[in-house]
Amino acid sequence: MEKLILELKEHLIEELNLEDITPEDIDAEAPLFGDGLGLDSIDALEIILILEKNYGVRLANTAEAKPVFYSVKTLAEYVMANRQ
Amino acid sequence: MAQRVTHIYFGAASALTALGDLDATLEGMAAGRSGLCYHASWGMFAGQIDPTHPEAQPATELTLFESRLVRQIERVCRVGGVDLGAKDTQLILSTTKGNIALLAAHTEELDERLFLDRTAERVQHYLGAARRPILISNACISGLSALVVARRLLLAGDCRTAVVAGGDLLTEFVTTGFTSFKSISAAPCRPYDAERDGLTLGEAFAAVVLTTEREAVAAPRYCLEGGAVTNDANHISGPSRTGDGLAYAMERAMREANVVADEVGMVNTHGTATLYNDEMESKALTLAALEGVPMNSLKGYIGHTLGAAGLVETILCLGQLEREEIFATQGFTTLGVPCAVNIAAEKRPLTQKRCLKSASGFGGCNAAVVVAAEELVKAPAEPSRCEAAVTATAAYTLPHEAIPFAELIRREFRALGDKNLKFYKMSDLAKAAYVASEYLLQGRDITTKYHPTEVAVVLANSAASLEADRAHQLIVDSRPEEGTSPAVFVYTLPNVATGEICIRHKIQGDNTFFIEEGSAFAERYARLLLERGDAKAVITGRLEKLDERWDITLKLLEIN
Repeated sequence: MEKLILELKEHLIEELNLEDITPEDIDAEAPLFGDGLGLDSIDALEIILILEKNYGVRLANTAEAKPVFYSVKTLAEYVMANRQ
Repeated sequence: MAQRVTHIYFGAASALTALGDLDATLEGMAAGRSGLCYHASWGMFAGQIDPTHPEAQPATELTLFESRLVRQIERVCRVGGVDLGAKDTQLILSTTKGNIALLAAHTEELDERLFLDRTAERVQHYLGAARRPILISNACISGLSALVVARRLLLAGDCRTAVVAGGDLLTEFVTTGFTSFKSISAAPCRPYDAERDGLTLGEAFAAVVLTTEREAVAAPRYCLEGGAVTNDANHISGPSRTGDGLAYAMERAMREANVVADEVGMVNTHGTATLYNDEMESKALTLAALEGVPMNSLKGYIGHTLGAAGLVETILCLGQLEREEIFATQGFTTLGVPCAVNIAAEKRPLTQKRCLKSASGFGGCNAAVVVAAEELVKAPAEPSRCEAAVTATAAYTLPHEAIPFAELIRREFRALGDKNLKFYKMSDLAKAAYVASEYLLQGRDITTKYHPTEVAVVLANSAASLEADRAHQLIVDSRPEEGTSPAVFVYTLPNVATGEICIRHKIQGDNTFFIEEGSAFAERYARLLLERGDAKAVITGRLEKLDERWDITLKLLEIN
C-alpha cells in the first residue's frame, strides 16, 4: 500500500505537471481537490487516464470518480481493489 | 457628412448540415427530423454532412474544408448579387480548426495549409476577393463572433457589405478530443433534459450576406440589431457556475438592439446537452430576465457544429422568424436544469419576430446576437461614440535570448513571484499570454479602475494553436488505449490563451482572436471597441509561438 501511494504521487506529479512539488509535500489523506495542489476538472480527467494507463482501472466519468478521488489514499484503495 | 448607418440587413443565406442544404435543414427541423445517426467510423452518434451531397465535394485546387467553405460563399454571392472584387465588400471567415485534417499522420513537417492565415489567403485568391478576408478563431462562438465583428465594421463605415462564412469538419482530431473530455453522449444529445449525458458532434458550413444597403435586399427583411462577446473569467473549459458571463453578453446584445426581454420572441441557445453547459445557460437566461421567453436548442437535429454553430444556427433562426415557428428542442422531454426556463419541447408558433441567439465556448467565451424582422427594429439609441483619444498606456514584448523558450518563460514567470501552479500545465502559447499580460498590467490596476466587462482582449497570430494541435495529433496518431489527454486538447484553440489572461485579471469584456500576418487588424478592431464605447481598456497585440520562434508583443490601449 505504501509503495502504491508513493507511486501514485509520482504519477500525479509527472502527469499533472505539479512543478516544485515532491511526494513528501502531498499528504496521502488530505483532500486532493482542495486548495493545496490547485487541481481542477481537467486534472480529474487526467487522473482517470493515469489509473487506466498504469493499472487498467476504469472509471466512466468524473461523477463516479468523486469519492475515489478524495485523497491519494482513497485512490490507492480503489486501485488495490480493482487493478488487473 | 455621410448619413449615420443604423440598420444592418441580412441578405442571401446558405448552409450545409447533416440535414442537407438550408431549405432541407429547415424542412427537416420543422418536421422534427434529426440528422444525427451512429457512425461506426467515429464510434459515436454524429451529425455528419452527406459526403455525396453535391456541395460537399472537394474542388481540385482546394482542400475539402476550403471547398465546402467557398461553395457557401459563392452561393450567397450569386444569389445576393455580391461582388467580392468590390473594395467595400469584406469577407469574414470563422472556423476553429480549418484544415486540421491535413495534420493526421503528418506532424513531422507542418503543411503550410495548416496555418489559418494561409487558408484566408487561399480563399481570397480562389474567390478573387479584393480585400484580405478577416479570419476569426474563437472556439465555439466563432460564428457569432464573426457576425458581431461584421456588424461593428458595417456600422463604422469600414465596408458596405460583409459576407460572413464559417465551417468546421468532423475529424478524428475533434472526436478524440471531446471523447477525452468525457463529453460525448452515448445516444443522440438531449439538450436540457434530465437524462442528458453529453453532446453530439456535427459538422456544418454556412454563409450569409450582411449589408447597410436596404435596396439590395428583398422584403421581408431581417436585421442584425445587436451583438456582444464576453468572457466568464472562470475556467478554460468548465462553464461558469453562475452564468454571469453569458448573461452579460445577452444583456449587452439587447441593449444594443434597444429592447428588453419582453420584446424578444424566442431565444435559441447553444444547448449542447452537456451537464454543465445547459445548467449554466439556465442560470444566465434567468440573470438576463429571459427565463420566461420561449427557447430552443437545435443541437438534437444537426449536432454541435463547433466554429460553424453560431453562424449556421443564426441563419436557422432567421428561417424560424420567417416561418413564424419555434422549432421543437429535439431530444428534450423533462426539464433537467436548475432554473425553470421556457423550453419548446414541441414546435410552437412565434408571436414576435425577434430572436436572441447565444453560444459559449472553451476559453470561457460567450456571445449573443439579436436578430429581428425589419418592422420591429427600433431606432437605436444614440451611439456612445467616444471622442477622447485612445492612448497606448503600457507595452510589453517577450525578449529573445540565446536560451530555449521553455527556460526563458519559466525565468520570466518566476521573476513575477507568482505562485500559480496552473501555469506549468499551460501550453506554451498560453504561458506566453499569461506572463506577457502580467508584465503588461503591472502597476496599471485595471481591476479596480474598470468593471470586468469594460476590459477587452483582442489578439492575433498566424498559426492559431498549431503547436498544441500537433501535440494532440501526436497522441491521436499513437492510438493510446486509454484515450487522448484533455489537458493537451483544451489548448488546441488560440483563444484559450486569451481565456488564461481573462481568468488571471478578471477580464469579462470582449475577447476576439483574429488570424492575420501581423496584428494590424486586431489593433484597429481594439481601437474600434474603445471608440464605440464597447470597452474602456483593451489588451491587444500579437501572440505567436511555434517551436523556437515567437512574437509576443502586447499593448494596453485606454481612453485618456
